[in-house]
Amino acid sequence: MIDKTCLKAEIAGIKLKNPVMTASGTFGYGQEYAPFVDLNRLGAIILKGITLKPKRGNPPPRVIETPSGMLNAIGLQNVGVEVLIKEKLPYFKKFNTPVIINISGDTIEEYLELTRRLGEVSKEMGVAGLEVNISCPNVKKGGMAWGTDAKATYEIVSSIRKVTALPLIVKLTPNVTDIKIIAQAAEEAGADALSLINTLMGMVVDIDSRRPKLANVSGGLSGPAVKPVALWMVWQVFQTVNIPIIGIGGMIKVEDALEFIIAGARAIEIGTANFVNPRVTIEIIEGIEKYLIENNIKDITKLVGSMKI
Amino acid sequence: MCAILNIKVKILNKEEVAPDIYLMKLKAPEIVQGALPGQFIHIKCSKDNYPLLRRPLSIHRIDKEKGEICILFQVVGEGTKLLANRTAGDNLDILGPIGNSFNIYPESKKIMIVGGGIGVAPLLALCEESTRQGKEVRVLIGALKKELVIGEENIRKSGAKVDVATDDGSYKYKGLVTDLLEGSIREGWLADQIFACGPKFMMRKIVEISLDAHIDCQVSLEERMACGIGACLGCVCKIKTKDKKEDKVKYKYKRVCVDGPVFKGSEVVWDD
Repeated sequence: MIDKTCLKAEIAGIKLKNPVMTASGTFGYGQEYAPFVDLNRLGAIILKGITLKPKRGNPPPRVIETPSGMLNAIGLQNVGVEVLIKEKLPYFKKFNTPVIINISGDTIEEYLELTRRLGEVSKEMGVAGLEVNISCPNVKKGGMAWGTDAKATYEIVSSIRKVTALPLIVKLTPNVTDIKIIAQAAEEAGADALSLINTLMGMVVDIDSRRPKLANVSGGLSGPAVKPVALWMVWQVFQTVNIPIIGIGGMIKVEDALEFIIAGARAIEIGTANFVNPRVTIEIIEGIEKYLIENNIKDITKLVGSMKI
Repeated sequence: MCAILNIKVKILNKEEVAPDIYLMKLKAPEIVQGALPGQFIHIKCSKDNYPLLRRPLSIHRIDKEKGEICILFQVVGEGTKLLANRTAGDNLDILGPIGNSFNIYPESKKIMIVGGGIGVAPLLALCEESTRQGKEVRVLIGALKKELVIGEENIRKSGAKVDVATDDGSYKYKGLVTDLLEGSIREGWLADQIFACGPKFMMRKIVEISLDAHIDCQVSLEERMACGIGACLGCVCKIKTKDKKEDKVKYKYKRVCVDGPVFKGSEVVWDD
Protein backbone atom coordinates (compact mmCIF):
# COMPACT_ATOMS: atom_id res chain seq x y z
CA MET A 1 0.00 0.00 0.00
CA ILE A 2 1.09 3.52 -0.72
CA ASP A 3 -0.39 6.66 0.72
CA LYS A 4 0.63 9.14 -1.95
CA THR A 5 -0.28 8.74 -5.53
CA CYS A 6 0.12 10.92 -8.58
CA LEU A 7 -2.98 11.86 -10.53
CA LYS A 8 -1.26 14.44 -12.69
CA ALA A 9 -1.65 14.30 -16.42
CA GLU A 10 -0.32 16.32 -19.29
CA ILE A 11 -2.34 16.79 -22.43
CA ALA A 12 -1.09 18.80 -25.36
CA GLY A 13 1.31 20.59 -23.00
CA ILE A 14 -1.53 21.50 -20.64
CA LYS A 15 -0.73 20.43 -17.09
CA LEU A 16 -3.69 18.84 -15.31
CA LYS A 17 -4.01 18.17 -11.57
CA ASN A 18 -5.91 15.04 -12.49
CA PRO A 19 -7.25 13.59 -15.73
CA VAL A 20 -10.90 14.54 -15.20
CA MET A 21 -12.28 17.24 -17.49
CA THR A 22 -15.76 18.41 -18.31
CA ALA A 23 -17.16 17.69 -21.76
CA SER A 24 -18.14 20.67 -23.84
CA GLY A 25 -21.84 21.51 -23.76
CA THR A 26 -22.51 19.62 -20.55
CA PHE A 27 -20.93 22.06 -18.14
CA GLY A 28 -22.25 25.37 -19.48
CA TYR A 29 -19.77 28.19 -19.01
CA GLY A 30 -18.56 26.60 -15.77
CA GLN A 31 -20.24 29.00 -13.40
CA GLU A 32 -23.51 27.01 -13.50
CA TYR A 33 -21.78 24.14 -11.69
CA ALA A 34 -19.91 26.21 -9.11
CA PRO A 35 -22.64 25.66 -6.46
CA PHE A 36 -21.95 21.92 -6.65
CA VAL A 37 -18.31 21.53 -7.66
CA ASP A 38 -15.12 23.17 -6.41
CA LEU A 39 -13.87 24.13 -9.87
CA ASN A 40 -10.30 24.15 -8.53
CA ARG A 41 -10.42 20.40 -8.12
CA LEU A 42 -11.10 19.65 -11.78
CA GLY A 43 -8.37 18.60 -14.18
CA ALA A 44 -9.63 21.07 -16.75
CA ILE A 45 -12.84 22.75 -17.75
CA ILE A 46 -13.98 22.63 -21.35
CA LEU A 47 -16.60 25.25 -21.99
CA LYS A 48 -19.76 25.15 -24.07
CA GLY A 49 -18.83 25.23 -27.77
CA ILE A 50 -18.28 28.74 -29.06
CA THR A 51 -18.62 30.31 -32.50
CA LEU A 52 -17.45 33.62 -33.88
CA LYS A 53 -20.94 35.14 -33.78
CA PRO A 54 -23.68 34.28 -31.27
CA LYS A 55 -25.80 31.32 -32.34
CA ARG A 56 -29.48 30.92 -31.56
CA GLY A 57 -29.58 27.14 -31.76
CA ASN A 58 -32.29 24.72 -32.81
CA PRO A 59 -36.01 24.88 -31.97
CA PRO A 60 -37.29 22.79 -29.06
CA PRO A 61 -37.75 20.00 -28.16
CA ARG A 62 -33.98 19.76 -28.10
CA VAL A 63 -33.50 16.84 -25.73
CA ILE A 64 -35.15 13.48 -25.26
CA GLU A 65 -34.31 10.59 -23.02
CA THR A 66 -33.49 7.24 -24.63
CA PRO A 67 -32.66 3.84 -23.12
CA SER A 68 -29.63 4.52 -20.90
CA GLY A 69 -28.93 7.75 -22.66
CA MET A 70 -30.28 10.87 -24.24
CA LEU A 71 -30.43 12.60 -27.59
CA ASN A 72 -29.68 16.27 -27.90
CA ALA A 73 -29.98 18.71 -30.75
CA ILE A 74 -29.06 22.01 -29.12
CA GLY A 75 -27.55 23.32 -32.34
CA LEU A 76 -24.57 25.04 -30.74
CA GLN A 77 -26.54 27.85 -29.11
CA ASN A 78 -23.89 30.11 -27.64
CA VAL A 79 -23.10 33.72 -26.78
CA GLY A 80 -20.38 34.19 -29.40
CA VAL A 81 -16.69 34.71 -28.78
CA GLU A 82 -16.80 38.40 -27.82
CA VAL A 83 -19.32 37.86 -25.02
CA LEU A 84 -17.36 34.80 -23.95
CA ILE A 85 -14.22 36.90 -23.61
CA LYS A 86 -15.94 39.82 -21.93
CA GLU A 87 -18.43 38.11 -19.65
CA LYS A 88 -17.59 34.44 -19.19
CA LEU A 89 -13.80 34.06 -19.11
CA PRO A 90 -13.08 36.67 -16.39
CA TYR A 91 -14.92 34.42 -13.93
CA PHE A 92 -12.11 31.87 -14.10
CA LYS A 93 -9.39 34.25 -12.95
CA LYS A 94 -9.98 33.21 -9.36
CA PHE A 95 -9.43 29.53 -10.17
CA ASN A 96 -6.23 27.70 -11.06
CA THR A 97 -7.87 25.12 -13.32
CA PRO A 98 -7.00 25.19 -17.03
CA VAL A 99 -9.86 26.43 -19.20
CA ILE A 100 -10.11 24.95 -22.67
CA ILE A 101 -12.33 26.54 -25.30
CA ASN A 102 -14.29 24.32 -27.66
CA ILE A 103 -14.53 26.04 -31.05
CA SER A 104 -16.88 25.58 -34.02
CA GLY A 105 -17.56 27.31 -37.29
CA ASP A 106 -19.44 27.09 -40.58
CA THR A 107 -16.35 27.78 -42.66
CA ILE A 108 -12.58 27.42 -42.31
CA GLU A 109 -12.34 31.20 -42.20
CA GLU A 110 -14.60 31.28 -39.16
CA TYR A 111 -12.50 28.68 -37.36
CA LEU A 112 -9.38 30.67 -38.17
CA GLU A 113 -10.76 34.01 -37.07
CA LEU A 114 -12.03 32.45 -33.86
CA THR A 115 -8.66 30.82 -33.25
CA ARG A 116 -6.81 34.08 -33.84
CA ARG A 117 -9.14 36.02 -31.57
CA LEU A 118 -8.75 33.49 -28.74
CA GLY A 119 -4.99 33.47 -29.34
CA GLU A 120 -4.88 37.26 -28.87
CA VAL A 121 -6.53 37.08 -25.47
CA SER A 122 -5.20 33.70 -24.34
CA LYS A 123 -2.54 35.03 -21.96
CA GLU A 124 -4.72 37.73 -20.44
CA MET A 125 -7.83 35.56 -20.14
CA GLY A 126 -6.10 32.31 -19.29
CA VAL A 127 -7.09 30.22 -22.29
CA ALA A 128 -5.11 27.01 -21.84
CA GLY A 129 -5.97 25.45 -25.17
CA LEU A 130 -8.52 24.85 -27.88
CA GLU A 131 -10.70 21.85 -28.54
CA VAL A 132 -11.62 21.92 -32.21
CA ASN A 133 -15.14 20.64 -32.75
CA ILE A 134 -15.27 18.98 -36.15
CA SER A 135 -17.94 16.61 -34.98
CA CYS A 136 -21.17 18.41 -34.06
CA PRO A 137 -24.04 16.43 -35.61
CA ASN A 138 -26.67 19.11 -35.02
CA VAL A 139 -25.74 22.00 -37.27
CA LYS A 140 -26.43 22.26 -40.99
CA LYS A 141 -23.11 23.67 -42.08
CA GLY A 142 -19.62 22.83 -40.88
CA GLY A 143 -19.68 20.72 -37.77
CA MET A 144 -19.48 17.04 -38.48
CA ALA A 145 -18.85 17.54 -42.20
CA TRP A 146 -15.20 18.23 -41.34
CA GLY A 147 -14.80 15.23 -39.13
CA THR A 148 -16.23 12.57 -41.42
CA ASP A 149 -13.66 13.02 -44.16
CA ALA A 150 -9.93 12.55 -43.66
CA LYS A 151 -8.97 15.19 -46.25
CA ALA A 152 -11.33 17.76 -44.75
CA THR A 153 -10.02 16.95 -41.28
CA TYR A 154 -6.45 17.44 -42.44
CA GLU A 155 -7.36 20.67 -44.20
CA ILE A 156 -9.09 22.30 -41.26
CA VAL A 157 -6.70 21.13 -38.57
CA SER A 158 -3.59 22.11 -40.52
CA SER A 159 -5.11 25.52 -41.29
CA ILE A 160 -5.83 26.14 -37.62
CA ARG A 161 -2.38 24.83 -36.67
CA LYS A 162 -0.79 27.49 -38.87
CA VAL A 163 -2.45 30.38 -37.04
CA THR A 164 -1.98 29.36 -33.41
CA ALA A 165 0.58 28.09 -30.98
CA LEU A 166 -2.14 27.20 -28.48
CA PRO A 167 -2.48 23.52 -27.61
CA LEU A 168 -4.90 21.95 -30.10
CA ILE A 169 -7.21 19.12 -29.18
CA VAL A 170 -9.31 17.78 -32.06
CA LYS A 171 -12.68 16.32 -31.09
CA LEU A 172 -13.66 13.41 -33.30
CA THR A 173 -17.02 12.09 -34.38
CA PRO A 174 -17.90 8.39 -34.12
CA ASN A 175 -20.18 8.69 -37.16
CA VAL A 176 -17.51 7.39 -39.52
CA THR A 177 -16.53 4.13 -41.17
CA ASP A 178 -13.03 4.08 -39.71
CA ILE A 179 -12.12 6.53 -36.99
CA LYS A 180 -8.43 5.55 -37.20
CA ILE A 181 -8.10 7.24 -40.58
CA ILE A 182 -9.59 10.49 -39.29
CA ALA A 183 -7.42 10.32 -36.16
CA GLN A 184 -4.29 9.90 -38.27
CA ALA A 185 -5.26 12.83 -40.49
CA ALA A 186 -5.68 15.04 -37.44
CA GLU A 187 -2.34 13.93 -36.02
CA GLU A 188 -0.53 14.54 -39.30
CA ALA A 189 -2.15 17.96 -39.53
CA GLY A 190 -0.59 18.96 -36.24
CA ALA A 191 -3.13 18.15 -33.53
CA ASP A 192 -1.55 17.94 -30.08
CA ALA A 193 -4.24 15.60 -28.76
CA LEU A 194 -7.50 13.94 -29.77
CA SER A 195 -10.73 13.78 -27.84
CA LEU A 196 -13.31 11.14 -28.65
CA ILE A 197 -16.11 10.46 -29.06
CA ASN A 198 -18.65 13.17 -29.80
CA THR A 199 -22.26 11.95 -29.96
CA LEU A 200 -23.66 9.25 -32.22
CA MET A 201 -26.48 10.31 -34.51
CA GLY A 202 -29.90 9.02 -33.57
CA MET A 203 -33.63 9.60 -33.64
CA VAL A 204 -36.81 8.95 -31.65
CA VAL A 205 -40.29 8.75 -33.21
CA ASP A 206 -43.58 9.64 -31.54
CA ILE A 207 -45.98 6.93 -32.68
CA ASP A 208 -49.11 8.99 -31.95
CA SER A 209 -48.21 12.03 -34.02
CA ARG A 210 -45.79 10.08 -36.25
CA ARG A 211 -43.37 12.92 -35.86
CA PRO A 212 -39.79 12.80 -34.65
CA LYS A 213 -39.59 13.69 -30.96
CA LEU A 214 -36.80 16.16 -31.60
CA ALA A 215 -37.69 19.26 -33.62
CA ASN A 216 -34.37 18.82 -35.45
CA VAL A 217 -35.44 15.24 -36.39
CA SER A 218 -32.04 13.78 -35.48
CA GLY A 219 -29.85 14.39 -32.49
CA GLY A 220 -26.68 13.22 -30.84
CA LEU A 221 -26.81 10.20 -28.57
CA SER A 222 -24.86 10.34 -25.34
CA GLY A 223 -24.89 8.66 -21.94
CA PRO A 224 -24.10 5.13 -20.77
CA ALA A 225 -25.59 3.68 -23.98
CA VAL A 226 -22.61 4.90 -26.02
CA LYS A 227 -19.86 3.85 -23.61
CA PRO A 228 -18.88 0.55 -25.26
CA VAL A 229 -18.70 2.24 -28.67
CA ALA A 230 -16.55 5.03 -27.27
CA LEU A 231 -14.23 2.61 -25.49
CA TRP A 232 -13.70 0.57 -28.61
CA MET A 233 -12.88 3.70 -30.61
CA VAL A 234 -10.47 4.98 -27.96
CA TRP A 235 -8.69 1.62 -27.99
CA GLN A 236 -8.46 1.61 -31.79
CA VAL A 237 -7.16 5.16 -31.95
CA PHE A 238 -4.73 4.49 -29.09
CA GLN A 239 -3.08 1.82 -31.19
CA THR A 240 -2.90 4.15 -34.19
CA VAL A 241 -1.63 7.56 -33.09
CA ASN A 242 1.21 8.82 -30.92
CA ILE A 243 -0.54 11.88 -29.50
CA PRO A 244 -2.54 11.73 -26.25
CA ILE A 245 -6.18 10.70 -26.28
CA ILE A 246 -8.94 12.15 -24.15
CA GLY A 247 -11.73 9.61 -23.71
CA ILE A 248 -15.35 10.74 -23.83
CA GLY A 249 -18.54 8.69 -23.83
CA GLY A 250 -21.12 7.78 -21.26
CA MET A 251 -18.96 7.69 -18.14
CA ILE A 252 -21.15 7.94 -15.09
CA LYS A 253 -19.05 6.30 -12.37
CA VAL A 254 -15.39 5.82 -11.55
CA GLU A 255 -15.22 2.30 -13.01
CA ASP A 256 -16.24 3.73 -16.39
CA ALA A 257 -13.46 6.31 -16.23
CA LEU A 258 -10.92 3.63 -15.33
CA GLU A 259 -11.99 1.54 -18.32
CA PHE A 260 -11.22 4.45 -20.62
CA ILE A 261 -7.84 5.08 -19.02
CA ILE A 262 -6.89 1.41 -19.27
CA ALA A 263 -8.01 1.44 -22.92
CA GLY A 264 -5.62 4.29 -23.67
CA ALA A 265 -7.15 7.59 -22.57
CA ARG A 266 -4.64 9.87 -20.83
CA ALA A 267 -7.51 12.06 -19.67
CA ILE A 268 -11.28 11.82 -19.77
CA GLU A 269 -14.22 14.15 -20.23
CA ILE A 270 -17.40 13.73 -18.25
CA GLY A 271 -20.52 14.79 -20.14
CA THR A 272 -24.10 13.66 -19.73
CA ALA A 273 -23.45 12.40 -16.19
CA ASN A 274 -23.15 16.03 -15.06
CA PHE A 275 -26.88 16.39 -15.75
CA VAL A 276 -27.71 13.45 -13.53
CA ASN A 277 -25.24 14.09 -10.73
CA PRO A 278 -23.72 17.56 -10.67
CA ARG A 279 -20.91 16.35 -8.37
CA VAL A 280 -19.97 13.38 -10.53
CA THR A 281 -16.62 14.84 -11.65
CA ILE A 282 -15.40 15.13 -8.07
CA GLU A 283 -16.66 11.65 -7.19
CA ILE A 284 -14.76 10.23 -10.17
CA ILE A 285 -11.55 12.05 -9.21
CA GLU A 286 -11.79 10.67 -5.68
CA GLY A 287 -12.61 7.22 -7.02
CA ILE A 288 -9.60 7.16 -9.35
CA GLU A 289 -7.30 8.11 -6.49
CA LYS A 290 -8.76 5.38 -4.31
CA TYR A 291 -8.32 2.80 -7.07
CA LEU A 292 -4.69 3.79 -7.61
CA ILE A 293 -3.91 3.55 -3.91
CA GLU A 294 -5.68 0.23 -3.53
CA ASN A 295 -3.85 -1.19 -6.52
CA ASN A 296 -0.51 0.24 -5.46
CA ILE A 297 -0.13 2.31 -8.60
CA LYS A 298 2.05 5.33 -7.85
CA ASP A 299 1.41 7.23 -11.04
CA ILE A 300 -1.73 7.26 -13.15
CA THR A 301 0.30 7.37 -16.35
CA LYS A 302 1.21 3.72 -15.60
CA LEU A 303 -2.44 2.84 -16.05
CA VAL A 304 -2.91 4.59 -19.40
CA GLY A 305 -3.28 2.03 -22.17
CA SER A 306 -2.34 -0.80 -19.83
CA MET A 307 -4.98 -3.15 -21.20
CA LYS A 308 -3.73 -6.72 -21.48
CA ILE A 309 -4.75 -8.58 -24.61
CA MET B 1 -33.53 33.64 -5.07
CA CYS B 2 -31.66 31.11 -2.97
CA ALA B 3 -28.98 28.84 -4.35
CA ILE B 4 -29.89 25.51 -5.90
CA LEU B 5 -28.96 22.66 -3.58
CA ASN B 6 -28.38 19.00 -4.32
CA ILE B 7 -29.81 17.21 -1.31
CA LYS B 8 -31.49 14.02 -0.19
CA VAL B 9 -34.99 14.50 1.14
CA LYS B 10 -37.20 12.00 2.92
CA ILE B 11 -40.58 11.01 1.52
CA LEU B 12 -43.05 11.51 4.36
CA ASN B 13 -46.19 10.51 2.60
CA LYS B 14 -47.50 9.43 -0.79
CA GLU B 15 -51.09 9.33 -1.88
CA GLU B 16 -52.83 8.62 -5.19
CA VAL B 17 -55.27 11.54 -5.25
CA ALA B 18 -56.73 10.75 -8.67
CA PRO B 19 -56.12 7.98 -11.21
CA ASP B 20 -52.35 8.05 -11.90
CA ILE B 21 -51.94 11.35 -10.07
CA TYR B 22 -49.87 11.37 -6.89
CA LEU B 23 -49.35 13.78 -4.06
CA MET B 24 -46.03 13.34 -2.32
CA LYS B 25 -44.92 15.10 0.84
CA LEU B 26 -41.19 15.64 1.35
CA LYS B 27 -39.20 16.69 4.39
CA ALA B 28 -36.98 19.41 2.97
CA PRO B 29 -36.04 21.94 5.64
CA GLU B 30 -32.88 22.90 3.71
CA ILE B 31 -34.82 24.37 0.82
CA VAL B 32 -38.28 25.18 2.14
CA GLN B 33 -37.36 28.58 3.56
CA GLY B 34 -36.12 29.88 0.24
CA ALA B 35 -38.68 28.12 -1.95
CA LEU B 36 -41.12 30.28 -3.90
CA PRO B 37 -44.42 29.53 -5.65
CA GLY B 38 -43.71 28.60 -9.26
CA GLN B 39 -40.34 26.99 -8.60
CA PHE B 40 -39.65 23.32 -9.15
CA ILE B 41 -37.39 20.54 -7.96
CA HIS B 42 -35.40 18.26 -10.26
CA ILE B 43 -35.80 14.70 -9.06
CA LYS B 44 -33.80 11.56 -9.58
CA CYS B 45 -36.72 9.16 -9.76
CA SER B 46 -34.80 5.89 -9.59
CA LYS B 47 -32.17 4.66 -7.21
CA ASP B 48 -29.88 3.61 -10.04
CA ASN B 49 -29.21 5.29 -13.36
CA TYR B 50 -32.24 4.13 -15.30
CA PRO B 51 -34.06 6.17 -16.36
CA LEU B 52 -31.04 8.39 -16.67
CA LEU B 53 -32.28 11.94 -16.45
CA ARG B 54 -33.96 13.73 -13.58
CA ARG B 55 -37.59 14.81 -13.81
CA PRO B 56 -38.58 18.41 -13.14
CA LEU B 57 -41.68 18.68 -10.94
CA SER B 58 -43.38 21.80 -9.64
CA ILE B 59 -43.49 22.52 -5.95
CA HIS B 60 -47.17 22.10 -5.13
CA ARG B 61 -47.15 23.33 -1.58
CA ILE B 62 -44.63 25.05 0.66
CA ASP B 63 -45.00 24.54 4.42
CA LYS B 64 -42.29 26.66 6.02
CA GLU B 65 -43.39 25.87 9.58
CA LYS B 66 -43.08 22.12 9.18
CA GLY B 67 -40.16 22.33 6.75
CA GLU B 68 -42.08 20.35 4.16
CA ILE B 69 -42.83 20.65 0.49
CA CYS B 70 -45.32 18.73 -1.60
CA ILE B 71 -45.19 17.69 -5.21
CA LEU B 72 -48.18 16.69 -7.30
CA PHE B 73 -47.48 14.67 -10.40
CA GLN B 74 -49.07 12.53 -13.05
CA VAL B 75 -47.56 9.25 -14.19
CA VAL B 76 -46.74 9.88 -17.85
CA GLY B 77 -43.59 7.84 -18.42
CA GLU B 78 -40.94 5.67 -16.87
CA GLY B 79 -39.54 8.34 -14.57
CA THR B 80 -42.82 9.35 -12.99
CA LYS B 81 -43.84 5.69 -12.82
CA LEU B 82 -40.78 4.87 -10.73
CA LEU B 83 -41.35 7.93 -8.59
CA ALA B 84 -44.91 6.83 -7.94
CA ASN B 85 -43.53 3.51 -6.69
CA ARG B 86 -41.27 5.15 -4.13
CA THR B 87 -42.61 4.86 -0.61
CA ALA B 88 -42.72 6.84 2.61
CA GLY B 89 -39.35 6.66 4.35
CA ASP B 90 -37.39 6.54 1.08
CA ASN B 91 -34.84 9.22 0.34
CA LEU B 92 -35.08 11.18 -2.89
CA ASP B 93 -32.10 12.87 -4.52
CA ILE B 94 -33.26 16.31 -5.59
CA LEU B 95 -31.92 19.56 -6.98
CA GLY B 96 -33.80 22.63 -5.92
CA PRO B 97 -35.42 24.99 -5.55
CA ILE B 98 -35.04 25.91 -9.23
CA GLY B 99 -36.35 28.69 -11.42
CA ASN B 100 -37.80 32.13 -11.04
CA SER B 101 -41.28 32.22 -9.54
CA PHE B 102 -44.69 33.73 -10.03
CA ASN B 103 -44.36 37.45 -9.45
CA ILE B 104 -47.27 38.73 -7.37
CA TYR B 105 -47.22 42.51 -7.58
CA PRO B 106 -47.67 44.28 -4.22
CA GLU B 107 -50.26 46.61 -5.73
CA SER B 108 -52.44 43.79 -7.10
CA LYS B 109 -55.73 43.36 -5.28
CA LYS B 110 -57.46 40.71 -7.36
CA ILE B 111 -55.70 37.58 -8.57
CA MET B 112 -57.02 35.07 -11.09
CA ILE B 113 -55.33 31.67 -11.20
CA VAL B 114 -56.11 29.17 -13.97
CA GLY B 115 -54.93 25.56 -14.03
CA GLY B 116 -55.53 22.86 -16.59
CA GLY B 117 -55.02 19.17 -15.81
CA ILE B 118 -51.81 18.48 -13.93
CA GLY B 119 -51.02 22.18 -14.52
CA VAL B 120 -52.59 22.90 -11.16
CA ALA B 121 -49.41 21.48 -9.58
CA PRO B 122 -47.61 24.81 -8.98
CA LEU B 123 -50.81 26.76 -8.35
CA LEU B 124 -51.70 25.75 -4.79
CA ALA B 125 -48.50 27.31 -3.44
CA LEU B 126 -49.27 30.43 -5.47
CA CYS B 127 -52.86 30.51 -4.25
CA GLU B 128 -51.84 30.12 -0.60
CA GLU B 129 -49.23 32.85 -0.93
CA SER B 130 -51.69 35.19 -2.65
CA THR B 131 -54.36 34.77 0.03
CA ARG B 132 -51.69 35.10 2.73
CA GLN B 133 -50.83 38.48 1.23
CA GLY B 134 -54.48 39.45 1.53
CA LYS B 135 -55.37 39.31 -2.16
CA GLU B 136 -58.82 38.42 -3.39
CA VAL B 137 -58.17 35.17 -5.25
CA ARG B 138 -60.22 33.25 -7.75
CA VAL B 139 -59.10 29.92 -9.12
CA LEU B 140 -60.38 28.14 -12.22
CA ILE B 141 -59.60 24.46 -12.60
CA GLY B 142 -59.98 22.59 -15.86
CA ALA B 143 -59.93 18.82 -16.25
CA LEU B 144 -61.00 16.16 -18.71
CA LYS B 145 -63.47 14.63 -16.29
CA LYS B 146 -64.58 14.61 -12.65
CA GLU B 147 -62.02 12.08 -11.36
CA LEU B 148 -59.19 14.20 -12.72
CA VAL B 149 -60.16 17.41 -10.95
CA ILE B 150 -57.37 17.90 -8.46
CA GLY B 151 -56.60 20.37 -5.71
CA GLU B 152 -60.08 21.85 -5.48
CA GLU B 153 -60.52 21.30 -1.76
CA ASN B 154 -57.11 22.61 -0.68
CA ILE B 155 -57.46 25.64 -2.90
CA ARG B 156 -60.86 26.43 -1.40
CA LYS B 157 -59.45 25.95 2.10
CA SER B 158 -56.81 28.57 1.38
CA GLY B 159 -59.58 31.12 1.03
CA ALA B 160 -59.90 31.34 -2.73
CA LYS B 161 -63.13 31.08 -4.68
CA VAL B 162 -62.98 28.05 -6.97
CA ASP B 163 -64.75 27.17 -10.20
CA VAL B 164 -64.31 23.98 -12.16
CA ALA B 165 -64.78 23.06 -15.81
CA THR B 166 -64.71 19.52 -17.16
CA ASP B 167 -64.50 18.66 -20.84
CA ASP B 168 -67.21 16.01 -20.56
CA GLY B 169 -69.40 17.90 -18.13
CA SER B 170 -69.15 15.18 -15.47
CA TYR B 171 -68.49 17.86 -12.87
CA LYS B 172 -69.68 21.46 -12.71
CA TYR B 173 -69.31 23.51 -15.92
CA LYS B 174 -69.16 21.52 -19.16
CA GLY B 175 -66.55 22.97 -21.44
CA LEU B 176 -63.18 24.60 -21.33
CA VAL B 177 -61.69 26.39 -18.37
CA THR B 178 -60.99 29.32 -20.67
CA ASP B 179 -64.78 29.70 -21.13
CA LEU B 180 -65.00 30.30 -17.38
CA LEU B 181 -62.26 32.90 -17.58
CA GLU B 182 -64.03 34.74 -20.38
CA GLY B 183 -67.29 34.49 -18.44
CA SER B 184 -65.84 36.03 -15.30
CA ILE B 185 -64.38 38.90 -17.29
CA ARG B 186 -67.74 39.46 -19.02
CA GLU B 187 -69.39 39.57 -15.62
CA GLY B 188 -66.97 42.30 -14.66
CA TRP B 189 -64.62 40.48 -12.30
CA LEU B 190 -61.39 41.96 -13.56
CA ALA B 191 -58.24 40.66 -11.98
CA ASP B 192 -55.08 42.71 -11.72
CA GLN B 193 -53.08 39.64 -12.63
CA ILE B 194 -53.77 36.28 -14.24
CA PHE B 195 -51.53 33.29 -13.58
CA ALA B 196 -51.83 30.11 -15.64
CA CYS B 197 -50.33 26.66 -15.94
CA GLY B 198 -51.55 23.82 -18.10
CA PRO B 199 -51.54 22.54 -21.67
CA LYS B 200 -50.01 24.88 -24.25
CA PHE B 201 -53.27 25.50 -26.13
CA MET B 202 -54.93 26.51 -22.87
CA MET B 203 -52.20 28.93 -21.88
CA ARG B 204 -52.12 30.39 -25.36
CA LYS B 205 -55.86 31.09 -25.20
CA ILE B 206 -55.53 32.59 -21.71
CA VAL B 207 -52.79 34.92 -22.94
CA GLU B 208 -55.09 36.04 -25.79
CA ILE B 209 -57.91 36.68 -23.34
CA SER B 210 -55.60 38.58 -20.98
CA LEU B 211 -54.27 40.75 -23.78
CA ASP B 212 -57.81 41.61 -24.92
CA ALA B 213 -58.78 42.50 -21.35
CA HIS B 214 -55.51 44.35 -20.71
CA ILE B 215 -54.70 42.15 -17.73
CA ASP B 216 -51.12 41.26 -16.85
CA CYS B 217 -50.61 37.52 -17.35
CA GLN B 218 -47.88 35.10 -16.30
CA VAL B 219 -47.62 31.52 -17.51
CA SER B 220 -45.57 28.60 -16.26
CA LEU B 221 -43.99 26.69 -19.13
CA GLU B 222 -42.77 23.16 -19.46
CA GLU B 223 -40.17 21.67 -21.76
CA ARG B 224 -38.08 18.51 -21.92
CA MET B 225 -35.16 19.14 -19.62
CA ALA B 226 -31.75 17.63 -18.96
CA CYS B 227 -29.53 19.46 -16.43
CA GLY B 228 -32.15 21.72 -14.81
CA ILE B 229 -29.53 24.26 -13.75
CA GLY B 230 -29.11 26.32 -16.89
CA ALA B 231 -26.08 24.60 -18.36
CA CYS B 232 -27.23 22.34 -21.18
CA LEU B 233 -29.63 24.69 -23.01
CA GLY B 234 -31.94 21.76 -23.67
CA CYS B 235 -35.21 23.16 -22.28
CA VAL B 236 -35.55 26.37 -24.23
CA CYS B 237 -38.70 28.25 -25.24
CA LYS B 238 -39.17 31.12 -27.67
CA ILE B 239 -39.38 34.53 -25.99
CA LYS B 240 -40.00 37.75 -27.93
CA THR B 241 -37.18 40.24 -27.98
CA LYS B 242 -37.49 43.99 -27.74
CA ASP B 243 -36.15 44.61 -31.24
CA LYS B 244 -39.08 45.95 -33.24
CA LYS B 245 -37.27 47.17 -36.34
CA GLU B 246 -39.17 44.82 -38.55
CA ASP B 247 -42.73 43.60 -38.49
CA LYS B 248 -41.57 40.03 -38.06
CA VAL B 249 -41.63 38.85 -34.49
CA LYS B 250 -38.12 38.53 -33.23
CA TYR B 251 -37.39 36.03 -30.56
CA LYS B 252 -34.63 34.34 -28.70
CA TYR B 253 -34.41 31.06 -26.88
CA LYS B 254 -34.61 31.26 -23.13
CA ARG B 255 -34.12 28.43 -20.69
CA VAL B 256 -37.30 27.21 -19.05
CA CYS B 257 -35.30 25.91 -16.07
CA VAL B 258 -33.55 29.03 -14.82
CA ASP B 259 -34.85 31.91 -16.97
CA GLY B 260 -38.37 30.55 -16.28
CA PRO B 261 -40.39 28.48 -15.77
CA VAL B 262 -42.62 31.55 -15.36
CA PHE B 263 -42.74 33.99 -18.27
CA LYS B 264 -44.90 36.98 -19.12
CA GLY B 265 -47.68 35.63 -21.30
CA SER B 266 -47.27 38.48 -23.79
CA GLU B 267 -43.62 37.56 -24.38
CA VAL B 268 -44.09 33.89 -25.24
CA VAL B 269 -44.00 32.89 -28.92
CA TRP B 270 -46.41 30.00 -29.35
CA ASP B 271 -45.48 27.64 -32.14
CA ASP B 272 -48.15 25.71 -33.97
